[in-house]
Amino acid sequence: MDFSALNEALAFKSYDKVAGICDTLMFLAASEGVSYQQDWPYAIHLIGHIYVNDINSARFLWKKIPLAVKESQPEVSAAWKIGQRLWIKDYASVHEAIREFIWSPQCQGIMAAFSEMYTKRMFELLQSAYSTISIQDTALFLGMSEEDATNYVLQHGWTVDPASRMLTVKKQAVVTKQKLDHSKLQRLTEYVFHLEH
Amino acid sequence: MFTFFLSMFLLIFPLTYNRKEKRKFIINEGERRFDLMNLSMSSVESLVAQIHGLSSNIGELTQLRNYLKQCDDLLRTESTRLAPLLTELDPSVHSLGYLYILEACTSAPISKDQANKLVLSVARFINVCAAEQIRLAPEKFISICKRLMLQVMLLEDPMRGVAPLLTSIRKLQSSTEQLTTLHPDFMLLCLLSKCYKIGLSVLEDDIFEVDLPRDLFLYCYYGGMICIGQKQFRKALELLHNVVTAPMPIISAIAVEAYKKYILVSLIHLGQFATSFPKYTSSAAQRNLKNFSQSYLELVNSYSTGKVSEVEKCVEIYKDTFGSDNNLGLVKQVVSSMYKRNIQRLTQTYLTLSLQDIANTVQLNSPKEAEMHVLQMIQEGDIYATINQKDGMVRFLEDPEQYKTCEMIERLDFSIQRIMRLSKKLTTMNEVMSCDPSYLGKVHIQLGRSGKDLIMMIFIPFLLNSPYEERRN
Repeated sequence: MDFSALNEALAFKSYDKVAGICDTLMFLAASEGVSYQQDWPYAIHLIGHIYVNDINSARFLWKKIPLAVKESQPEVSAAWKIGQRLWIKDYASVHEAIREFIWSPQCQGIMAAFSEMYTKRMFELLQSAYSTISIQDTALFLGMSEEDATNYVLQHGWTVDPASRMLTVKKQAVVTKQKLDHSKLQRLTEYVFHLEH
Repeated sequence: MFTFFLSMFLLIFPLTYNRKEKRKFIINEGERRFDLMNLSMSSVESLVAQIHGLSSNIGELTQLRNYLKQCDDLLRTESTRLAPLLTELDPSVHSLGYLYILEACTSAPISKDQANKLVLSVARFINVCAAEQIRLAPEKFISICKRLMLQVMLLEDPMRGVAPLLTSIRKLQSSTEQLTTLHPDFMLLCLLSKCYKIGLSVLEDDIFEVDLPRDLFLYCYYGGMICIGQKQFRKALELLHNVVTAPMPIISAIAVEAYKKYILVSLIHLGQFATSFPKYTSSAAQRNLKNFSQSYLELVNSYSTGKVSEVEKCVEIYKDTFGSDNNLGLVKQVVSSMYKRNIQRLTQTYLTLSLQDIANTVQLNSPKEAEMHVLQMIQEGDIYATINQKDGMVRFLEDPEQYKTCEMIERLDFSIQRIMRLSKKLTTMNEVMSCDPSYLGKVHIQLGRSGKDLIMMIFIPFLLNSPYEERRN
């Protein structure tokens, strides 16, 4: 199998392309009748799906992996563990699943990028869903120590009440583009014309 | 006596004359291009030569197609000896000829060892063949695709067929609006090989042209299942709706199974199910579907009570039915969607509510569990709310969308354009129907010979959906 496209994507940190590349290669191998299962980079493939938040595809891929591979390659099971936690929406334990395994050099880059992105995603979720939240929970969601978590959110303008150990969330004002150009007006004219005729 | 012979002669003469003419014509054709009578294995070279000579432009290819059509019986009887010919052809240049020979080669029953080879050769051909050539012989192309499909199923390796079948659909289609008979096969392979995502890429196309009703039924049913697997419930609902409401003279197993899934997806996605059918549903469906899905309709009743315990009770009673229908997973999703639905209902009544109260009303065990449910729903955009952990309260908010961002206008724009395209299509279809002789015939019989009414009937399709209709009212 020619994995150069995959290796290139990993080298250039285009991690969002990994799942697509792996899918295409797998279909190619399958249609050529090559028995690829033994050497397939299942761990990378799984993480690729997880990276783009496509947990459904990760789950179906996991179901396709032969039992022998699951047993002989602990990294594959470790990668799915993350997917599983995301599947049941156990937000906090995802960090744990990332940390408790020593990833192979091939997976390290994408895993670090995922971890960083996931922390950011969690922070945005907390910011949108809470007005006040305990330091303890914040630390769990962000996968940091309580001290690190407090510092992280303070940088984003949150405030801390040391007595109750509660954080007050500062909502980010969302800036959206509202200006319209002439082409929209043109379109509107076309619509009215369509309705009239 | 003489007159009798004369009349006999006159009767027979035109016939013999015609026959002679015809034979002469065939021989002429033969002289110019080939001699059908002499085509046997000795002239296999001539077959290859014909393919080589007639593969460059559409005129030649049509000529080649007619030639190959006439050779079909011969190809069939000589099928075992044709394989070496394939090496003399380039599948990307001589696609049409290659297709005919490949089809003949693969027509004989084969062993499991040979199956592997067959799948490989068909898959490679599908990959490189020229679309405009194989479209000249769609039935042959479909035939080899179906054989590939059958063999990958026998080999128990459905994934081998996924990419080739996707390619063959794209090559066979004259536009993405056309449903081919390979669509349902492709969907089935996606399901069997658990490659759901690639199935979605085909389901994105809007279908307007269908040849066989059965293809549409299966395509929508399997497509619905793929969308369910990818949790795209809105699209799944649309596809299953198409199966349930499509015209059908008699009820089919596909429609019954689709109806069951339609009920479940509707509960998950909309939180309710309307047991009445839309007006355009066939009478066969309206009469029979409910009789086949009693336990599912019971589930709808228990769901409408809004109590998780009631739904769970109902699931327990009909567990075996749901299980044997392979719908248990979906039924479980129905149960868990109840919590979501009940929380959503609370947002219509309250502005703020404590987590404890939420837990009590929707039958959750603890305030923490309620908090996690609310958090998930905020993440998925099901509700707008903020959680205040300090006071243990949830404040429900209005939808912050103000419908004036550029992004929203783009979306509206896209929808309007889609609807406009659809409306144009409907107008064209109406016009075609108004000119259709069988439609006019039917209208004519119904109205007798009253000319004015007939003209009115013809114009009804034009008047419907037109702005004039509204203005008159």
